[in-house]
Amino acid sequence: MIFGNLLRKFLLLELWQGMWVTLKNQFRPHITVEYPRETLEFAPRFRGVPRLRRDPQTGEELCISCLLCEAICPTECISIVSEKKADGKGKDLVSFTINYERCCFCGLCVDPCPTKPITAIYMSHDYEFAGYDRDVYVADRRELVDGLPVKLYDR
Amino acid sequence: MFRTEMMDINMGPQHPATHGVLRLKLLLDGETVTDTDVIIGYLHRGVEKLCETKNYHMIEPYTDRLDYVAAMYENLGYVETVEKLMGVKVPERAEYIRVITAELQRIASHLVWLGTHALDIGAMTVFFYCFREREIILDLFEAFCGARLTYNAYRIGGLPWDLPPGWTDRARHFVKIFPERQKEYDTLLTKNRIWLGRTKGVGILRAEDAIDFGVTGPCLRSAGVDYDLRKAHPYSVYDRFQFDVPVTYNCDTYDRYLIRMEEMRQSTRIVEQALDHLPAGEVMAKVPKRIKPPAGEVYHTVEGPRGELGFYIVSQGEDKPYRMRFRSPSFVNLQALPHMIRGSLVADVVAVIGTLDIVLGDVDR
Repeated sequence: MIFGNLLRKFLLLELWQGMWVTLKNQFRPHITVEYPRETLEFAPRFRGVPRLRRDPQTGEELCISCLLCEAICPTECISIVSEKKADGKGKDLVSFTINYERCCFCGLCVDPCPTKPITAIYMSHDYEFAGYDRDVYVADRRELVDGLPVKLYDR
Repeated sequence: MFRTEMMDINMGPQHPATHGVLRLKLLLDGETVTDTDVIIGYLHRGVEKLCETKNYHMIEPYTDRLDYVAAMYENLGYVETVEKLMGVKVPERAEYIRVITAELQRIASHLVWLGTHALDIGAMTVFFYCFREREIILDLFEAFCGARLTYNAYRIGGLPWDLPPGWTDRARHFVKIFPERQKEYDTLLTKNRIWLGRTKGVGILRAEDAIDFGVTGPCLRSAGVDYDLRKAHPYSVYDRFQFDVPVTYNCDTYDRYLIRMEEMRQSTRIVEQALDHLPAGEVMAKVPKRIKPPAGEVYHTVEGPRGELGFYIVSQGEDKPYRMRFRSPSFVNLQALPHMIRGSLVADVVAVIGTLDIVLGDVDR
């Protein structure tokens, strides 16, 4: 028994076992991707930056300026300005801006959105944002609906 | 002519082994640590005060950012505290899904701990393997709640979404392959003589000291105290699952390593059982949109990966808490650090910080 232990110690057995694990892993398939050239597919629920959307059938903007998303936003990054419609029923959206610098991607704004069957505000799959200017990150209504202008850089 | 002198050494705040912005002022006698000053507060954001200005829904994303390595537990503790205050009964299915995701989070958190702890001590390979397995869990979380780190996955009264189709099969696949993968870490570390040399007898924290300091979690259980909130004060549906609480008696870094390894196995067991008995039905209880708990105060704890994670809320019947207090395990465990490294070598400081498994977002809040 003691002799066996000594032999094991002398032969560095546990270190060789560890080396064997590393060697086995050399031949496993890669699980990383080379990011800018390849990208991973997102889960459908992935929370990127919040956006506004149009009704897919009629093409009209869905937001009814109920201010619920503005009320629940923990970082107060949404600001909505609206005015009463001329006929007195409902409101017209004047401006809708989201400050992406403050947004914490929590997705709480989507929960209370009352428009059915799809919500006016939603968490998009966009995540790549870089800019030289802080103004880029304050997105107005047009940019929220159509998407921020993406500038592509040559490598 | 020749004289010896004590020397002050600053470790951190920008040090790779302090796992964040922690500054230690070590008073050294040669290479022996005689005294330590732990200086924290570099990551202080004033979340507790901030919570007094937010309503109960808005606070949840903030709890994500306390202990960002195990954000699921912060969410769980917070929503359960508010539910306790309001007396809401959460649907069965939501409770089970919470247990599944929380236990997966415990595995993910321990994998980060194991990887970085081994990396600090010098075993680099384990780090890559741990993060490979953690990736599978993060993918599961992304499919469930849409985020990989700051989940905001629960709501007061249940869950915002049910599990996506095919999720349980993927989770089952993970718990099937994970024990195999864990054997690899075992082979690399458990009997490795360098690992043994660096961790055995290092950072001793005896049971009476641990209790005096208020240390909880694996650090307490390594001293032989069988105290796990999941068994001691079962919350959620933990009383329905069969699992063991590992306890060891040597009080050192190596024992804490063994305990966390065993906890990962037990978590796998819990996830397996919860997946088997996952009931059907609703995931959201009937709660008012504007949450106004009755006036009163409540304290609720959950067993996080680092120890007892407590939430204390004083409500005055408004939609905002009057006072919010987090009992974060990292903060409490950190105060045992000077005691644990007194008399040991400088090189062991890194091992002891690693074994305490602190997250500085949780320490400073």
